[in-house]
Amino acid sequence: MKKLVSLLLVLAMLLSFSAVAVAEEAPVYDGSEVTITFYNTMGTNLTPVLDTYIAEFNVLYPNIHVEYTSVGGYDDVRDQISKEIPEGIQPNIAYCYPDHVALYNLAKAVQPLDAYIDNTAVITRADGTTEVFGLTDEQKADFIEGYYNEGKQFGDGLMYTLPMSKSTEVLYYNKTFFDANGLTPPATWEELEELCLKILDIDPMSVPLGYDSESNWFITMCEQYGIPYTSATAPHFLFDNAEAKAFVKMFRDWYQEGYLTTQTLYGAYTSGLFVSTDEIKSYMSIGSSAGATHQRPAKNADGSYPFEVGIATIPQVNAENKKVISQGPSLCIFKKANAQEVAASWLFVKFLTTNVNFQAEFSMASGYVPVIKSVANNEVYAEFLANADGGDYIAALSAKVCLEQQDAYYTSPAFNGSSTARSQVGPLMTKCFAIPDGSDVDAQIDAAFADAIAECKYSIGE
Amino acid sequence: MVDSKQQWKAWLYLAPAIVLLLIFTVWPIINTVVLAFTEKYSTLANTGGTSFRIGFGNFTDVVGYSGFLDALKITMILCVATVPISTILALLIAVALNAIKPLRKALQTIFFLPYVTNSIAIGMVFNAMFNMIGKIGIRRPKIQSFGIINDIIRFFGGTEINWINTGSDEWANILVLIIYIVWNALPFKILVLLGGLQSINKQYYDAAKVDAAPRWKVLTRITVPLLSPMIAYVVITGFIGGFKEYTSIVGIFGETMGPPHDAGRLNTIVGMIYDSLENNLVGRASAAALILFGIILIVTLINLQVSKKRVHY
Amino acid sequence: MSRSAYDTIRDSMDKKEQNKQKFSAGYRAAHFFGQAGIYLFLIVMALIVLFPFYWMIISSLKSLPEYKETIPTFWPRQIIWQNYANAFTTANLGVLFKNTLIVGVVSTLLSVFITIITAFAFARLEFKGKETLFAALLATMMIPGELFTITNYSTVISFGWLNTYTVLIVPFLVSVFYIYLLRQNFLQIPNELYLAAKVDGTSDWKYLWKVMVPLALPTLISITILKMMGAWNSYIWPRLVANKEEYQLITNGLRNAFKEAGTGDVDYPLQMAAVTLVSIPLFLVFVFLRKYIMAGVSRSGIKG
Repeated sequence: MKKLVSLLLVLAMLLSFSAVAVAEEAPVYDGSEVTITFYNTMGTNLTPVLDTYIAEFNVLYPNIHVEYTSVGGYDDVRDQISKEIPEGIQPNIAYCYPDHVALYNLAKAVQPLDAYIDNTAVITRADGTTEVFGLTDEQKADFIEGYYNEGKQFGDGLMYTLPMSKSTEVLYYNKTFFDANGLTPPATWEELEELCLKILDIDPMSVPLGYDSESNWFITMCEQYGIPYTSATAPHFLFDNAEAKAFVKMFRDWYQEGYLTTQTLYGAYTSGLFVSTDEIKSYMSIGSSAGATHQRPAKNADGSYPFEVGIATIPQVNAENKKVISQGPSLCIFKKANAQEVAASWLFVKFLTTNVNFQAEFSMASGYVPVIKSVANNEVYAEFLANADGGDYIAALSAKVCLEQQDAYYTSPAFNGSSTARSQVGPLMTKCFAIPDGSDVDAQIDAAFADAIAECKYSIGE
Repeated sequence: MVDSKQQWKAWLYLAPAIVLLLIFTVWPIINTVVLAFTEKYSTLANTGGTSFRIGFGNFTDVVGYSGFLDALKITMILCVATVPISTILALLIAVALNAIKPLRKALQTIFFLPYVTNSIAIGMVFNAMFNMIGKIGIRRPKIQSFGIINDIIRFFGGTEINWINTGSDEWANILVLIIYIVWNALPFKILVLLGGLQSINKQYYDAAKVDAAPRWKVLTRITVPLLSPMIAYVVITGFIGGFKEYTSIVGIFGETMGPPHDAGRLNTIVGMIYDSLENNLVGRASAAALILFGIILIVTLINLQVSKKRVHY
Repeated sequence: MSRSAYDTIRDSMDKKEQNKQKFSAGYRAAHFFGQAGIYLFLIVMALIVLFPFYWMIISSLKSLPEYKETIPTFWPRQIIWQNYANAFTTANLGVLFKNTLIVGVVSTLLSVFITIITAFAFARLEFKGKETLFAALLATMMIPGELFTITNYSTVISFGWLNTYTVLIVPFLVSVFYIYLLRQNFLQIPNELYLAAKVDGTSDWKYLWKVMVPLALPTLISITILKMMGAWNSYIWPRLVANKEEYQLITNGLRNAFKEAGTGDVDYPLQMAAVTLVSIPLFLVFVFLRKYIMAGVSRSGIKG
C-alpha cells in the first residue's frame, strides 16, 4: 500500500513537473520519433537544396522526419494556414511574412520562441556530437541584426520568427551610360533630382528612373524621414500626416516632369524599361535585389551585353543614416499538443537559419541573401561574391551590395491589418501622382490619404 | 395507392442528389446565415477564444461601406451589358455553324479551343491588347507602346484611347471588361446552344426550305422558339455568372481592382467578399454573400417569370 | 448503321431543293451571298476566339527574357522547344496526369449518373413539393462558391477525407447547372412517348435509359465535356484539401512547379508549355466526342 502511494506521488510529481515545463519552458527534444510538416513556396529549383540539408539534418536527428509542401505563393501559404488553424491541422513550420504571423495570432497559434532561444540545455546528437538546444550568444550575434529583429516587431516584445532568407531593394543603373557621361549613382534624393535633370538633358526621350514597388517606396520614405507609418498597437494607421503628404507631393511633381515612373503607372515591368534598347528607356531602376537577372539586358549576338549594370544602395534622405527595406520569408513554428513536435521543429528551424553551408547554397540558388554574417566566410560563397560583376555574375553583385548595407535594414510593425496598410499606400502613391496639373492638388492628396486610412480601418473591422 | 408509390419512387431517384446537397450545399448555407449574424466573426479569432455578439453589425458594415454602391453599380452594369451581347453572339455563331457544311468540323473545334486555353493565357492576351505602355508624366508625355487595339484604331486614322492605364476613363475600363467577359462566356454558350440546335427536328427546317422562307425568318420563327429552353438557361446562368464577376477584373486590372490612379473603382460585391475573407472577417463576408444572394434571387425570379411567358417547350 | 434513315430523307429533300433552285436564280444568288456572309462571320469570330490559344502556344515557345519584354513579340525570335522537355521533367507530370484522370473520369461518371436520375425525377415523376424543391435547387446556384468552401472544409476534415481521392470527387458531384440543363432537355421529349411506354408496361427505369437518355445524348455529352473540363481545371478546392503530392491534381502541380530561381515569380513560358501539354488530351477528347455528337443528333432525328 505504501509503495503504491509513493508510486502515485512520484507519478503525480512527474506529471505536474511536465505540465509546468510545457507551460513555461521549452521542453528539450528527447530523441523521440516525430514527423514535422513544413509549408514553403520553394519551386523545383530550390527543393533539391532543401532535400540535401534535410538528409544532413537527419544524420544528426534520425528520428525527426521532415515533410515539406510547396503551397504556391506567400499569399497561398497564408490562406491555406488560416483555414487550417481553426481545424487544428496547421503545419509545424511555415514560410511567413510578419503580417501572416499577426493574422495567425488572432488564434494565438504561433509559438513564441523566446524560451527556446534562451534554453541552455545541451543535447547529444545521433553522431555523438552535442549542441546547445537554444541559440548560443555567437549564433545570435551572427544574425544580421535588422533581419533578426523582424521576429519581435509584434508589439508584445516576444520573438515569433527567425529569418530564413532575405532580399531588399537596390538601385540598378546603366554603368556604361553613367561612366560615359561622368555620372555617379545618387546617394540622396536631392542628388537623384539633379541627376534626372542631367539625364534628360543628355537623352530627352528617356525616363531616368523606374521604381518597381510603390508600396515599398512609401514605407521606405516614411522610415527615411522618421515619419510615423503604422504602429503595432492601436491606433494602427498613422501615415495620414503632413510630412508624408509633402514627399508624395514632391514625387508627384517629379513624375509629372517625367523624371521617373513606377510599375503600375508605366503599365509594364520597370525592369523591362531599364533593359530596353528602344528609344524610350530608363537609366536607373529600383527593384528587388533577388531579381537582379531581370535587370540585365539580353545578350548581343556576339555574347556581350549591350551595357554593363551597376548596383548601388537606393537614394536616402540622410546618407549617413541609411534605411532600406527588408523583405523575404521568415520561419514561424506553430503550437502543437505534442511538445516534442515543437521541440523538433525548433531544432530544424535553427538548423536552416544557422547552418552556414545551407544558407550559402540556398542563397546562391535563390538569389536571396543569407541571414547570417558568417556565410561571407564560406569558401564557395566567398568565391561567388568575388566573381561579382555587372554581367554574367550580376546576382553576386546584388548580393554583395546587400551584404555591404547590412546595418541599414529596417522592418515595419506587424499587426493584423499591416498588410492592408501596405496594399493601400501603393495605390495611394499612384493616385496622387496622377492628379493632373491645374486641379487642386493639395485637396485631392488630402482626400486620397483620408480614403486610404478609411479603407485600412474598414478592412480590419474597425 | 399508385400515387404514394410514385412519390416513394421519385424520392428514391432524388436521394443521392439530396443527400449530397444537404451535406455540401444546404449545411454551408445555414452556416453562412449563422455567421452573417455573428458580428465581426473571424474563424481565427474564434479559435483564439474571442467571443462575438449576435446582431446585424456585419450587414450594416457592408451596406455602410463607402464603396458599396459603386460595387453594386459595376456589378449591375456588367450583367446588363454582357448577357444580351454574349447570348446573341453565341446564338448567331451556333446557328451559323449549324447552317454550313464544309469547314464545319474544323470551325466547331476552333470554337471549342477556348476551353482548353488556360485562363492565365487569356488574361495575358487582354493585357497585351489593351495595355498602353509609357505615358509618363503629363508635362512630358511619352508613350512606348499603344497596344494592339490602339494600333488598329490609329491605322484607320482614329485617336488612341486610354483603355486601362493611368488616367483612363471609367467607361473605357468597363468597355474592356465587357469585351473580356463576352469573349470568355462565348464558348460555353455556343456549346449549349449548339447542343440544343442539334436536337431540333430537322423537318422543321426542311418545311421552311420548301416554303423558301428567308433566313432571318427561319431564325426568329423556328430556331429561337425551339431553342428557347436553352436560351433561357444561358441567360439565367449568364446573369448569375455576371453577378459573381471578379476574376476578369483581377485579370486585367490586378488586385487593386481599378486603374492605377483610381484603385478599387471597378470593385464588385464578390470583390468585397474576397477582401473580407483576406482579413479573415468571415462574418462580414457571409453578410455580403447573403446580400448578393438576395439580389441574384430577385433578378432570377424576374428572369424565370419572363421565360415562363416566352419559353416554348 | 453509319448512315441513318434521316440522312436519306435529307438527301432527297436536298434534291428537291436543288430542283427548285434551278428555277430561281435570284434565290440562288441570295443563298450564295448568305452563305459567304456566314463564312465570313464565322471565320472572323474564329480568329478572335483563336487568339488566346495562339498566345498560349507562342508564349510557351519564348525564352523568359523575351516573354518579359515590354512590347510583346508576336512570333518568338528564337523558338525554345526545350521548354516542353523542361516542363515535362520539372513538374511530376506522370503522377499529376494519373490523379487528374482518376478524379476526372470517376467524378464525371458519377456526376452524369446522378444528374440523369435527378433530372428524370424532376422532368417526369410526380411528387409533392416538386416545384418548390426545384426552385430551391436553382436558388443554391446563386451563392458565391467561396462561402461553401469554408464550411465544406470543416466538414471533410471531420469525415477524415483530407488527402484522398474521395475529397476531390464527392463534394461536387451534384451540379444544379447540369440538372437544370438536362431537365429542360427531358421536358422537350413529347409526353406521348412516356404515356405510350406506360401503356406498354415499360418501367420508368427502363424508359429512362432506353428512350430518354439516348434522346438527350447531345446534352449529356455537353455535360460530360463540361464536367471533365471542370475536373481538369479545378484549382481552389484541390489545393486546399489535397496538398500531398500523391493526390495533387494537374493545375496545382503546374502552379507550383515553375518558379524562377530569383524572385519566385512564375516562369510563364515553362508554365505555358506545361499548360499546352495538358490541354492536348482534352483537345483529343473533344475531337473524338464531336463525332459522337453527330451520331447522337442523327439518332434523335429519327425518333423525334
